[in-house]
Amino acid sequence: MRARQPDRADVVERKGVKVAYEVVGTGEPGLLLIPAAPISHARSWKGLVPFLSRHFTVVTVDPRGNGPSDRPAGRAAYGPDEMLADQLAVLDAVGLTRAIVVAHCHAVPWALRLAAEHADRVWGVVAIAPAVALAPRDGHWAEPTERWADEVDNPTGWGLCNRHFWRQDYPAWPRFFFDQLLPEPHSTKQYEDAVSWALETDPETMIAEREGRDAPKDRHAAEALCRSVRCPTLVIHGTDDRCQPVARGQRLAELTGGDLVVLEGAGHLPQGREPVKVNRLVKAFVDRIEGEPMRRQVWTRSLRRPKRALYLSSPIGLGHARRDVAVVKELKRLRPELEVDWLAQHPVTSVLEAEGERIHPASAWLANESAHIASEACEHDLHCFQALRRMDEILVANFMVFQEVVEEGLYDLVIGDEAWDVDHFWHENPELKRGDHVWLTDFVGYLPMPDGGEHEAFLTADYNAEMIEHIARYPRIRDSAIFVGNPDDIVPDTFGADLPNIRDWTETHFSFSGYITGFTPPDPDEVPAVRAELGYRDDEQVCVVAVGGSGVGRALLEKVIAAYPLAKRLVPELRMVVVAGPRIDPGSLPSHPGLEVHGYVNRLYRHLSVCDLAVAQGGLTTTMELAAAKRPFLYFPLRHHFEQTFHVRHRLDRYGAGRCMDYATSDPDLIAAAVGDHIGEAVAYRDVETEGAAQAARLIAELL
Amino acid sequence: MRAVAADVEASVTRDGVTVHYARYGYASPTLVLLPAWSLVHSRHWKMQVPYLARHYTVLTFDGRGSGRSDRPASPASYSAAEFAADALAVMDATETERAVLVSVSRGALWSLHLCAEHPERVLGAIFIAPGVPFEPPARERVVVLQRFDEVVEEPVGWEKYNAHHWKADYRDFVEFFVGRMFTEQHSTKQYEDAVDWALETDPATLIASHYGLDDCTPQAIGRLAAKVRCPVLVIHGSDDAVRAHPAGASLAERTCGTLVTLEGSGHFPHTRDPVRLNLLIRQFVEGTRR
Repeated sequence: MRARQPDRADVVERKGVKVAYEVVGTGEPGLLLIPAAPISHARSWKGLVPFLSRHFTVVTVDPRGNGPSDRPAGRAAYGPDEMLADQLAVLDAVGLTRAIVVAHCHAVPWALRLAAEHADRVWGVVAIAPAVALAPRDGHWAEPTERWADEVDNPTGWGLCNRHFWRQDYPAWPRFFFDQLLPEPHSTKQYEDAVSWALETDPETMIAEREGRDAPKDRHAAEALCRSVRCPTLVIHGTDDRCQPVARGQRLAELTGGDLVVLEGAGHLPQGREPVKVNRLVKAFVDRIEGEPMRRQVWTRSLRRPKRALYLSSPIGLGHARRDVAVVKELKRLRPELEVDWLAQHPVTSVLEAEGERIHPASAWLANESAHIASEACEHDLHCFQALRRMDEILVANFMVFQEVVEEGLYDLVIGDEAWDVDHFWHENPELKRGDHVWLTDFVGYLPMPDGGEHEAFLTADYNAEMIEHIARYPRIRDSAIFVGNPDDIVPDTFGADLPNIRDWTETHFSFSGYITGFTPPDPDEVPAVRAELGYRDDEQVCVVAVGGSGVGRALLEKVIAAYPLAKRLVPELRMVVVAGPRIDPGSLPSHPGLEVHGYVNRLYRHLSVCDLAVAQGGLTTTMELAAAKRPFLYFPLRHHFEQTFHVRHRLDRYGAGRCMDYATSDPDLIAAAVGDHIGEAVAYRDVETEGAAQAARLIAELL
Repeated sequence: MRAVAADVEASVTRDGVTVHYARYGYASPTLVLLPAWSLVHSRHWKMQVPYLARHYTVLTFDGRGSGRSDRPASPASYSAAEFAADALAVMDATETERAVLVSVSRGALWSLHLCAEHPERVLGAIFIAPGVPFEPPARERVVVLQRFDEVVEEPVGWEKYNAHHWKADYRDFVEFFVGRMFTEQHSTKQYEDAVDWALETDPATLIASHYGLDDCTPQAIGRLAAKVRCPVLVIHGSDDAVRAHPAGASLAERTCGTLVTLEGSGHFPHTRDPVRLNLLIRQFVEGTRR
């Protein structure tokens, strides 16, 4: 799912060729973002648009040849005059009289011409990895340049950049090319993105654009173009750029009198690989041109400030809201003066509001992670590792919101319960850290699903390796790391080939709070009173069916609802209560006479803690609430969900809790039979600790 | 030792009164750090000059009646218009066409004069703890001001703001007044500095400077504020015991400026919280470049 939908998506048409653009925001000045099409398209700006559009109008254009734009035939259609006219037509269509142009690679010459010939409209240019012939290219370009039009037998490496080869096996080129352009370790997602965008066009379009480009070829012509630019410029260039040598960026900055930011160790795609840095550079550049507006503000002298914490609760579903509220209650017991703000999104906010917690207003800027996860799920199937990878632009967008909040909020402490964006991007941009940082999680290590084969094992190991390297290099980013559980809860796996054992590594790098239920289950002699309060009679066998808060549980609910008539025949005293949660409309589910269906139920754990049987997904929170309350339950891990399949199951097995069911092979008959087998049965689970919240709070309070 | 030496030290003379100024740095734009009340001299900007001079050209001058500048005897020499004219003379002497004005306390009056009467010379104005008469002062202060030239026996508190007391026990007044400037805990060094600077001038000069502001009525200053068109930043401490926060808030409102409230700060925050003030000044100046 996108982090930010455009306010407007439209096309301009010139001489029968449609060029697409999108607009977010209104007002001047606006940023015009031009990608290096047709090998790329406007989605390559996805890490920048959500942040920049909170501050400025942002216009992205898909130059002819890729994305939703037309792919005209013939090199003449891709000449610089056409490209320039397209950009102007977009500026006119948007009604932008004052633009700051951000361009990448061979889009930079287009931007420079726009600035030179329309100085009244272009107030600044940001050139990322500019393809301007101000310095010689690296030697590996000699062969493809010389033999571009030759019929070369079995070309290799850079020689794949060849007209005839593209017609035979075009996809091999972007696969090679972007591997070269992303020399940074752990760039798998950026690589997949870049290749997939390149494959949205075709070899004839690529050939036509390359042959029609006609950018200044020699140094004198390139210098003349640069000298004709009068507006402020910013050049961003990586030292390890194998497409465009950094010397070109340096010379461009010299000739235009602009600012040069060299990214040491970066490749050709910093907007994809270093989105936080590029976002901040672009904003600072525009602020310098426009003047950052002063805002009414209050600054409090340091000794006058109350101690303040910002709490981020993992926003996917409702999993952690209850335990995080419990931790904060304990923390306030230890540090009564502490003020806590929450940066949170739906559905976590529904719990926080019910508890009277203070939600930071910037929460409204967050892109919704639960909606993304729901969009990634299909029938009881959620590949949560890939869903997390595809959440990359949402994580950048939300990190940028978070960073602005901590830069203004004077927080002493940031507590992130699986706040992946904060932990990842503070390790990637350690100079941005503000306040102490507590990291909480209930699992460590991405694990591959068996049907993902070697490639998925490679990807999970790569993500794990990056995390391990982050923490080895910057131990100061996590001031405290708390594992919500015990060492025995950790899976007996490794992080991947040649990587450490997960348990050994976690015991070295984490403190252990024990499990945090967020509530104390009723004693056996208190159960009748709670049942009575909730309206459950002693002569009923109550079966609660719940799927958490993320909205991916619809298929399971429907299957269990289908089993209801059969189960009711097997267990005449059965009373089945279905809880759809905050993100599924209960009215949209099938119904049966006698079956109860509810939406969001506050304090659902109280129902779970006194039921005679529960049916749930394999999520940790719900199953551990049932384990703590010693209730029989059936759980169905989501297909391809490594956390539910491996981490949660391992933990439940240790407690001896629940019966794991396979969704795919469980038909309504089987489910009804399982309900009949287990409802009301006595269980002998290992006790779940009740001191977890207090222990976590003690660990956090040490920092205050 | 000083953190940075002036690039130019010189003086200008108008109507026989010589004012000593200094210039630091070469970059654009120029900032004029205006004098406050003649109780202190230009060294009160010592925490700003080294930082700002790395980014801009900085002009400071000792206000007439303080530091190395002359101490004319007549009250008329201390009018807001005279201070404003001194600032213009310093700008002329340094060939400074336009500048950002930064003022503290009573310096707000000279700054408003320049903003309103010489808008072509002003890029923007920062008012720190502005001494503008927009909000009624506390009752005790009104009574005291009415009795400024009466003899008050054993004055207490603001009663020490009194011409006879200044002549009888100037140091006692200075210690009281500077004590009111720093309501923040742990301000011993800032206090000592301000007391030392105040002791470099004399009661007769301060009495003349007091009468010099007779024409600075709320109406007159309000008219000046209404004429301001340049960007304005007002910075005011919530705990300012010399000039209360509502005065700054009112000035910001009247000039369509931005108000930054310093929670817990007193009357001289640029000496007590120099880092925050330096950064605010820089942010504002960058914003005037548009």
